[in-house]
Amino acid sequence: MPLPASDPHRRVRWGTYLIAFIITAALFGTAIGASAYFDARRADEVRSTTDSISVDILSLETQFDLLAQNSCKNIADNSVLSTELWPLGERLAYLESQGGDQAQITELKRYYSLLEIKDLLLEQQVADKCDIKPVVIMYFYSNAGDCADCTQQGYVLTSLADRYPDVRIYSFDYNLDLGALQTLISIDKIPDTLPALVINGKVYTGFKDMDAIHAILPGLAAMSSTTATSTRK
Amino acid sequence: MALSSILPYLTDGLFFVSLYFEVFMLIALLQKRSLRDRHEQEPILPAVLPSVAIVVPCFNEEHTVGPTIESLLALEYPADLLEVIVVDDGSTDATLAAAKRYEGERVRVLSKENGGKHSALNLALSQTDADLIGCLDADSVVAADALKRTVAAFTDENVAAVTPGIHIQKPQTLIQHLQEAEYRLAIFTRAAFADIGATYITPGPFSIFRTHIVREAGGWRHAHATEDLELGLRLQERGAIIRNEPYAAVYTKTPSTVRALVKQRVRWTYGFLRNAFDYRHMIGNWRYGNLGLLALPFGIISIGVVFYFVALITYDWAQSLANWMTYVSVTHTVFAAPSFDPFFIDTTVMSFIVYLSTALVLVLLFVGSRLSSRPERKFRALGTSLFLLFYGFLTPIWLGIAVARASFRTGVDWKGVRNR
Repeated sequence: MPLPASDPHRRVRWGTYLIAFIITAALFGTAIGASAYFDARRADEVRSTTDSISVDILSLETQFDLLAQNSCKNIADNSVLSTELWPLGERLAYLESQGGDQAQITELKRYYSLLEIKDLLLEQQVADKCDIKPVVIMYFYSNAGDCADCTQQGYVLTSLADRYPDVRIYSFDYNLDLGALQTLISIDKIPDTLPALVINGKVYTGFKDMDAIHAILPGLAAMSSTTATSTRK
Repeated sequence: MALSSILPYLTDGLFFVSLYFEVFMLIALLQKRSLRDRHEQEPILPAVLPSVAIVVPCFNEEHTVGPTIESLLALEYPADLLEVIVVDDGSTDATLAAAKRYEGERVRVLSKENGGKHSALNLALSQTDADLIGCLDADSVVAADALKRTVAAFTDENVAAVTPGIHIQKPQTLIQHLQEAEYRLAIFTRAAFADIGATYITPGPFSIFRTHIVREAGGWRHAHATEDLELGLRLQERGAIIRNEPYAAVYTKTPSTVRALVKQRVRWTYGFLRNAFDYRHMIGNWRYGNLGLLALPFGIISIGVVFYFVALITYDWAQSLANWMTYVSVTHTVFAAPSFDPFFIDTTVMSFIVYLSTALVLVLLFVGSRLSSRPERKFRALGTSLFLLFYGFLTPIWLGIAVARASFRTGVDWKGVRNR
């Protein structure tokens, strides 16, 4: 039969247990607060870039309207859209992968997708006016867990963008609740068999590796100059 | 509810429990002790100094027993009140001859058939009438002032045992440097456990006991080759008071290879698990205060926590490896261009908790240093870095083996003998 505790030190002092609990909870609270603070700062940064791109789009649209008085070279030289869209897309994808405020991230994604569509349309208009033939790839993916090959497709397109900066790649979350995006999906008749690629206007479904994309775009190897791209998962 | 949705809560919960334990220990220690330098202060000794017998149990320790005895003879304590009892436990090398060189007025050398460390200690217990009895493993040496600091703690007549501050003797290999930090952390833990009355190990190197209390408790037992742990638990079960004097410095030799370290720790963990099972009535029992409610339960929970986090990290790494292999196979590129953009620094809640936990471990190491004698206070960058980076990955090796062995009661090998 055990003896009763005789060591006064051994006696449970609930105050110590409580203080330790409060301090531990405070440490956890600090971690949660610090994480939320940095998430908010990142979201602000993304929002600020988005706003900046928005202004750039307006500027490009204005330039485009003034095309009659400007040369095509002038527009191409001043177009900063694509170079900013690519890192922005990467940042958004990172924010999404980190969790955080999903409603806020979805809102930023909607805005980003809208900017991509605007850039895409302007790109087509500039191409028509200035008689240039850019290589444009639209990539439709899903983060809803229903696209096993989207990760691989994302890797291929990211590598493609690094290797051929002239290729313009626009990535879209197929399930994003955005009217303009759903209209684009409807116009281009993009099926829900993801991943789906639209390469120079033609729809391809299922995973396409580097060789397959090279086969679709035989002139790819000849491209080299710098323009921006954007790929997601 | 899917497992994937439970895991984040489980991870948070286990982090909370681990962090809580560290915070609790720190608060408990700071409530009782000042971190001011006490090492320079002369210990306040009892008016009548007790006689002390230090037992050196040896088994095949011909090379280390000499320095151990010499360090005991150099203790700052009245010679007529200190006797050294060397017990050769059936060594097959020249240990007995090495010990005999010191035999004399202050050193007694006993020899017996091999029966285990507990039997060597019990033989010495039966042959001494000293007020206090202690043990010093034959691979350890003591600081000259260690005994008087320990004896000072016995001024309180209710104290049954006092444990020391254990340091590593001249770390040389990387694995010994890693243990240097681990032992520094243990100095904090041992002091904090003593301060909440939850000490359940009276380590082999220089724990000192009131002789009559050990006798009344029945002496040392085999106890799954961890007699120091079992005696600690037994004394606690009997309501005895065990204190810690961290400034009583002992320097012990430690394993120099991973293999030797794993073997030692398997024995320790096996002993903890088997003894915890033998004394299971104490676990969660409020009658044993902080020991029953906190120290023992957490000792067991921590094994599960280690397994869980290592499994989590391994899964995460395996997933990263699989992703990388996919990347290589589909892009024919080995590495993606690295990004140095601060935007991509990991600032998830979990990462902040990991940063905080690491910072807390550094604080505890600092406290361990403050509780160390002056020569041992220096910050050791190598040992601390090795400890933080690799210790967590070594621990599951011995924990896994020990848990498996304890489950099947296979016993562990120690000094060439299978101990169950």
